[in-house]
Amino acid sequence: MKLTKARALILIAFSVPIAIELRTVAGFFNVELPLIAVAVIEFLFLALLFVLYGLYGEGSESAA
Amino acid sequence: MATASGGSEFVDKFPDEAAIVKASFLIAFVSLGIGAFFGLIQALHRTDVLRVIDSADYYTVLTGHGVLLAIVFTIFFLCGVFHWAIARSLDRPAESALFSWAWVGLMTTGTVLATVAILGGFVPNLGMSADVLFTFYAPLQAHPIFYIGLAMFIVGTWLSGADWFLSYRAWRQDHPDERIPLQTFMVLTTMIMWYISTLGVAVSVVFFLIPWSLGLIESVNPLLTRTLFWYFGHPIVYFWLMPAYLLWYTVLPKLAGGRLFSDPLARVVFLLFLLLSTPVGIHHQYLDPGIAEGFKFIAMTNTMFLLLPSLLTAFTVVASVEHGARQRGGKGYLRWLGALPWRDPAFTGMALAGAMFAAGGFSGMINAGMNINYLIHNTLWVPGHFHLTVGTAVALTMMAGSYWLVPQVTGTKLYSRPIGLLQVIMWFVGMVFMSNAMHRAGLAGIPRRTAEPQYQNFEFLTPIGSIFELRVQIALGGTLLFLSVVLFLFNILLTSLGEESDRPVDSYLPEPLSGPEGSPRILDNLAMWTGIAAVLVVLAYTLPLAGIIQNGGGLFGGGLPVPATVSAGFDLVMTTVTSAFNTLWGVVA
Ligand code: HEM
Ligand SMILES: [Cu+2]
Repeated sequence: MKLTKARALILIAFSVPIAIELRTVAGFFNVELPLIAVAVIEFLFLALLFVLYGLYGEGSESAA
Repeated sequence: MATASGGSEFVDKFPDEAAIVKASFLIAFVSLGIGAFFGLIQALHRTDVLRVIDSADYYTVLTGHGVLLAIVFTIFFLCGVFHWAIARSLDRPAESALFSWAWVGLMTTGTVLATVAILGGFVPNLGMSADVLFTFYAPLQAHPIFYIGLAMFIVGTWLSGADWFLSYRAWRQDHPDERIPLQTFMVLTTMIMWYISTLGVAVSVVFFLIPWSLGLIESVNPLLTRTLFWYFGHPIVYFWLMPAYLLWYTVLPKLAGGRLFSDPLARVVFLLFLLLSTPVGIHHQYLDPGIAEGFKFIAMTNTMFLLLPSLLTAFTVVASVEHGARQRGGKGYLRWLGALPWRDPAFTGMALAGAMFAAGGFSGMINAGMNINYLIHNTLWVPGHFHLTVGTAVALTMMAGSYWLVPQVTGTKLYSRPIGLLQVIMWFVGMVFMSNAMHRAGLAGIPRRTAEPQYQNFEFLTPIGSIFELRVQIALGGTLLFLSVVLFLFNILLTSLGEESDRPVDSYLPEPLSGPEGSPRILDNLAMWTGIAAVLVVLAYTLPLAGIIQNGGGLFGGGLPVPATVSAGFDLVMTTVTSAFNTLWGVVA
């Protein structure tokens, strides 16, 4: 499945609530994540998405 | 479902109706712009990020925000949607364009009066203000102009409903044996619910608040005006939600590339809302002294029953959308999600709105539980909850729907789809930040409705993260939301200024997979359902109201006492019901 701009945007959107509540989920397992760790994880996710978009994206998409 | 025959567009076929829809949308969008600006001011002020107003003016801003968004924006927009839906599904123009303009005019005049009274609060020495918040019950008191504007607005909505019932009656004469078209069915059941519920607020405004603000009566019974408000205040929630449901049931499946799963199920859902949305208002008053716990318990039980139509909706809409995705070639258990038309801002906005509504439903169940409600009552949790429901499920669906509806009434193509997509995603992200932090702040005990949520010698604590982070999240989310509204208004403005097009949008709506033919005709018997709804309301409210009047010092508070005969009869009824309830409870528990 091609990673279109729209799909990439949706993935970014859904990553935000997951990132915000990551510390709660980690808390269930007695892991105390600092805020900076969450920021780094979200950043890594965005970077990964950019790479994937570069590899599998629509390239010069016109009618997004 | 009757479908607009291919070729001719709504604006060509029904030019008068399109003009009414445009006028309603215009007022809705102006209110949205002002209200969102006030929202930004609040979000930045309460979090101490940026303060442009005096804290003493906070309630003026907050009243403007609540009234312009939750009452004016939503209701004007839904009047536009309903007017469109009636004309297209009955396939006939309104009976009288003049009459339609009359209700638009009346509602607009009412809005202007109420808004002037609210904004008057910014001008000291003017002697006019309405810092009563959008719930406007006593003991807060507004200038009479505010209540008069409100009354005109409500009467305007009554006339709009009459307009649609007249269209339906005329259609019925030509089609004596046909099933009511689905969209018309949705509009009519919603309006019946609205008539039943606005009676409460009309009585409160006309008999108590207006005479009181004019000085004709000295006092009111505050618990009575609160109860009359909430008698209407819960159904208004469904008045906001039903147009969103109308779009989710009849338009979203088409945008997803499919068709509605089941027409009869949709009818059942709307009927359940008609029956159940009024006899639950007391669930907003769990902490009000003066209402017996038993009545609160009944309201809670009815509220939990409301989960049923909500879950039916979730099932039907998701099934229809999945059907659409599979029509578009989607496969697998979850992979079909990728096959949906995510580029289309109308689809994506509605889908995101639906997803957030699920989250709002969960926090709503906490609100509805009599005992856990005490944990979050009047904290920031509550605005966190309803910015997911009315503030997103409804508002975002309306904005997303506009990308599909506005071209139909202007005859021009949408100015920019990518900007539209960015706008709905920005709303989602902004709301995730703001609403999540509001919920958490509420759990920490931070109160709502205050410019200064700090106390001396007291620190709020959070289990994870810090209060500072929550403040930043609220401010950041509020800013993103405001920018999203700016993008939306900009896109719609440029759309309406664009060049006319022969085919501005694909407005065809396909028939449902399972049509109304097989379903029982009794579903369409509106008179019977209205009767049942009225009986439920009488059952749920007679005793609590009688108690409030009797124990709260009469109809007008300190004023008239209740006649002894009424009082004696009431005691008898009370004892009987209480003992019956206790017996029942003994059996159950
Ligand atoms: C630009 C987007 C928005 C922002 C930044 C925003 C911000 C806020 C904030 C911070 C509060 C809490 C104030 C307090 O309790 O002290 C609030 C309350 C409220 N908001 Fe919004 N909001 C936005 C959009 C909306 C929308 C779209 C609706 C409804 C359609 C809405 C309806 C309300 C209502 C009814 C209240 C409660 C007012 C009261 O307590 O009397 N808001 N808003
Ligand atoms: Cu409610």
